[in-house]
Amino acid sequence: MPKITIDGKTIEVAAGTTVIQAAEQVGVFIPRYCYHPGLSVAGNCRICLVDVEKAPKLQIACNTPVAEGMVVNTTSKKVTDGQQSVLEFLLANHPLDCPVCDQSGECDLQNFYMQYGRYDPRFEEQKNKKPKAVPIGPTVMLDAERCVLCSRCVRFTDEITKTGEFGIFNRGEKAEIGLYPGKTLDNDYSGNVVDICPVGALTDRDFRFKARVWYLSTAPSVCNGCSQGCNIDVHYVLDRPHLADGARVMRLKPRYNADVNQWWICDEGRYGFKSADQDRIEKISLKGAVAAWDIALTQIATAVTKLKAANQLSAMAVIPSAQLTIEDLYAVKKLTDQLPGVVCTAQVPPLPGKSDDLLMKADKNPNSAGVALLELDKTPASSIIEAAVSGQIKILWVIGQDLVKLFGEEKVKQLAQKVELFIYQGPNTNKTSSYAHVVLPASHYLEKDGTFINVQNRVQRIGKILPALGDSKADWQIVAALAAKLGLTAGWKSLPELFVAAAAEVKPLNGLTYEKIGQQGFTV
Amino acid sequence: MIWDIVIKLVIAGAVFFFVLNLAGAHTWLERKQSAVMQDRIGANRATLFGQRLLGIPHSIADAVKMFTKEDFIPANADPFLHTLAPFLSVFFAMVAFAGIPFGDHLMLGGRMIELQVAKVDVALLYIFAMLSLGVYGVILAGYASRSNYALLGAMRASAQMISYEIALGAGIAGIVMIYGTLDLQEMVRAQGGLAWGFLPKWGIFLQPVAFFIFLTAALAETKRTPFDLPEGESEIIGYFVEYSGMKFGMFFLTDFVETILVACLATTLFFGGWQIPGLSVAGFNFFGHLIAVNPVIYALLGVMSFTLKVLIFCWLFMAIRWTLPRFRYDQLMRLGWQYLFPIAIANVVITGLILALVK
Amino acid sequence: MAIRKRELTFWEKLYLPQIFSGLKLTMKHFFVNLFIHMAHRLGLMKNSSAAVTIQYPEERRWLAPRLRTRHRLMLREEGTPRCVGCMMCETICPAKCITIVAGEHPDPNVEKYPTRFDIDLGKCVYCGYCVEACPEDAIRMDTQILDIAAYSRDAMKLDMHELLNPTLRKPLKECELKFPHKCAIHDGKITGSWDAVYGKGPKKSNQFESETPSH
Repeated sequence: MPKITIDGKTIEVAAGTTVIQAAEQVGVFIPRYCYHPGLSVAGNCRICLVDVEKAPKLQIACNTPVAEGMVVNTTSKKVTDGQQSVLEFLLANHPLDCPVCDQSGECDLQNFYMQYGRYDPRFEEQKNKKPKAVPIGPTVMLDAERCVLCSRCVRFTDEITKTGEFGIFNRGEKAEIGLYPGKTLDNDYSGNVVDICPVGALTDRDFRFKARVWYLSTAPSVCNGCSQGCNIDVHYVLDRPHLADGARVMRLKPRYNADVNQWWICDEGRYGFKSADQDRIEKISLKGAVAAWDIALTQIATAVTKLKAANQLSAMAVIPSAQLTIEDLYAVKKLTDQLPGVVCTAQVPPLPGKSDDLLMKADKNPNSAGVALLELDKTPASSIIEAAVSGQIKILWVIGQDLVKLFGEEKVKQLAQKVELFIYQGPNTNKTSSYAHVVLPASHYLEKDGTFINVQNRVQRIGKILPALGDSKADWQIVAALAAKLGLTAGWKSLPELFVAAAAEVKPLNGLTYEKIGQQGFTV
Repeated sequence: MIWDIVIKLVIAGAVFFFVLNLAGAHTWLERKQSAVMQDRIGANRATLFGQRLLGIPHSIADAVKMFTKEDFIPANADPFLHTLAPFLSVFFAMVAFAGIPFGDHLMLGGRMIELQVAKVDVALLYIFAMLSLGVYGVILAGYASRSNYALLGAMRASAQMISYEIALGAGIAGIVMIYGTLDLQEMVRAQGGLAWGFLPKWGIFLQPVAFFIFLTAALAETKRTPFDLPEGESEIIGYFVEYSGMKFGMFFLTDFVETILVACLATTLFFGGWQIPGLSVAGFNFFGHLIAVNPVIYALLGVMSFTLKVLIFCWLFMAIRWTLPRFRYDQLMRLGWQYLFPIAIANVVITGLILALVK
Repeated sequence: MAIRKRELTFWEKLYLPQIFSGLKLTMKHFFVNLFIHMAHRLGLMKNSSAAVTIQYPEERRWLAPRLRTRHRLMLREEGTPRCVGCMMCETICPAKCITIVAGEHPDPNVEKYPTRFDIDLGKCVYCGYCVEACPEDAIRMDTQILDIAAYSRDAMKLDMHELLNPTLRKPLKECELKFPHKCAIHDGKITGSWDAVYGKGPKKSNQFESETPSH
């Protein structure tokens, strides 16, 4: 274990560690463009120069392995002069079109210039012209002029996705980033090159000109796109409704989690946020008319009580979805447990989905493991549908499931005529909601707190980021309100209490609290 | 007999017409005079048929505004008394004009027509009575509004009016003593001719102290600056705070009518009424030469003389208004009771002594 | 400290002399001004004024050129707005009165332009930060227009028409501006055409499908 001193701080690190990693461990930041912890070391941007004692020249921190007794200085005059010169060189051909560049505000060229540059420019020649605003794929826009040729994107497509679209072409000052002939950047992880690009060369076409990055607020969450449960940061704007036609969520960014998704996220998840603002159910619909919560719930409760009185509770079925949180599912389960005879199942036929070895999973529900844990997957839902079509079900309550997609439109049309009360509860409109008699607006998953269990049996928290839209309420709140109308006891008042109750009942979750799960999740 | 009534009606109508129009013109005069005194242009934006006409359309616009505004009666107010008050105010101010002689009698078709609405022997007393009754309008306005502010404003106004009535009455006692009559027509006639051979026998020369007392008290009586505490347009809330529309306009009108009335009184008592120095029924006495004048023209000259004098007084009142600041209330009361009243009494005593000595 | 009032002299206590001196002053003004007014009526003495007031709006006070007045958006030589929609002004605006929505410009060297640029003059505090923040000299506050009044709050909002043409306060019937933008008075419909500026012909498409990557 070599010992190394960086800026007077001594640390013992594993052999093979580079200086930039060692510096990170002692809390010294060294600027970098080409270095990325998830990619191989290229060492071509030269901004990470450090002064190693007894070395004649400045060394690049990203590719210098630590040696015993090494003394590194990152702040000497020599280092700052070196950094300044490198920056001046990198910026020589930069177009400085920060006003129109979507990267400005989170651009390492801007940040490092303000921190390490601040030189008097000496470049008087004509800047090189290169292609600008070239859409190189469905998600990415290329501006070759802004590129500093760090080759992060090249290494990403070579090493992570192994699709190899990117290359650096031409030589010297004419060198530019581009795609190999005949290729388009359309792999499932193409959005990540935007994240790793330290400058504005690769920008997001979806986020293009939507907002300036300093308008965005950030909150951590978990992707609900598939059972992988990638950690994400949600970038949203609440105070500027004129941007992006009033959308609140502007973009998603992957959040580092060494055990789940590292630095990456698939494009499907990255652009899956539109359901938060589009096609939302905002008002309660009671047979087509807008109603208040109290009226709708009273009507449902009356129907349920009538069944109960007639001892026909087996004619009621609830189909929750694996899109719901543990808390929502547990609340539904508790309610149906207190109504003996009621069938509650989330077991639906799987829909075909894209999957690969990296992150994407075929199961597009974030909480399938949670459904299994709560034993809500015992009865197949198809049997309920058959029973409903044949007229044996009087009340059908669907939470977040699109029955039309699962069982076909014809069946849903039939059961909607047979079933006395067909309730659809969910955040977004779909074909099923158009057939339902009562439509209850549920909060989007970015509008509520809760937990998901991913395919690795990792419990991860999502947080309430946006205010609930319209009249919508979190699913567990709707269930609790209905339970109160039915005169049933819930046993919990708040969400943390609800989770503690669920954790006490479900064996693998025993003793788990929100604090214990934290931001990175907890494997059970 | 029928002709008498027709003639009286014509004269009354003429006086009514003249007074009301002059009061209306006052709003314009007031604006323009204050503007000229204060290096301004004055209201000049309203137009009539595209013409600005020196801002005269503003008076018409004001009237239209007053008539079209909402007539608001406060919820708790007595609607009858609340409506009655402005009518009382303007009524007593208008009827007082009946006693004012605005010309010598006119001989027309063998009839002697007195240029006076009502030939009252005690015209002066009658006018003072009417002026005093004006207080009822004020008190009623404040009382019927059922508003503390309006009531306090009314108390303030009536206290002021009653206080200055004393000084006003005592002030002109000297004039009455000198001319020995309460009939205003007789009093004006008595002011014809010259005193000591060179001065017109006008009240101002015979009773200068009484004139100043009268002027001061009359300004206070008509509630004009520097004695405009009851209204205090922008600063204090007055007795008509709960009035809007034309009812407020009537209080406003009363003020102008009273101003004209006081100008008429001052003219009649102190400036020889319709008299023109040197002019008599016989003709114009031009340094000993007598130039004959047609009796009708003579009467008309008298009316014109009277009108001119009244207008000059109106102008003077306005000049005073836009020159002096307002008195404080205690100063106002002290001036009335401690200065004007004793001086007026002294004036009566001295006048009496002189009269006793001369006779 | 007690404030000691000066005792008034007998002469002052009389009031009358002071009243007369006051009347003398106001009368002087009255007659002098009246004389000048009458002379003006006869077409004389036009050089001397009878009033110190300014007859707005016929007469106007001189305004300093650096005075911050109503905004305008600048145009390039070919008639398109200079604004590139960087939203610096929107960001710096302390009153949050600027709303910009950016769009894709057909020329990749311009790249971005505002499809919507509104200033709510009802909120604007005329601080001039937007002018200072602008990297393109696209917004200025030098129109010398001060009399901004409207009968509703909505009418206080300027859209891009009115900002690009400072003489325009009322919305145009027909949009004459030579660029597409979301125009409030046309219900957000895009009017005008880029062709008028850049000429007709194949333009670089922004659709990915028809794009081949260049090297």
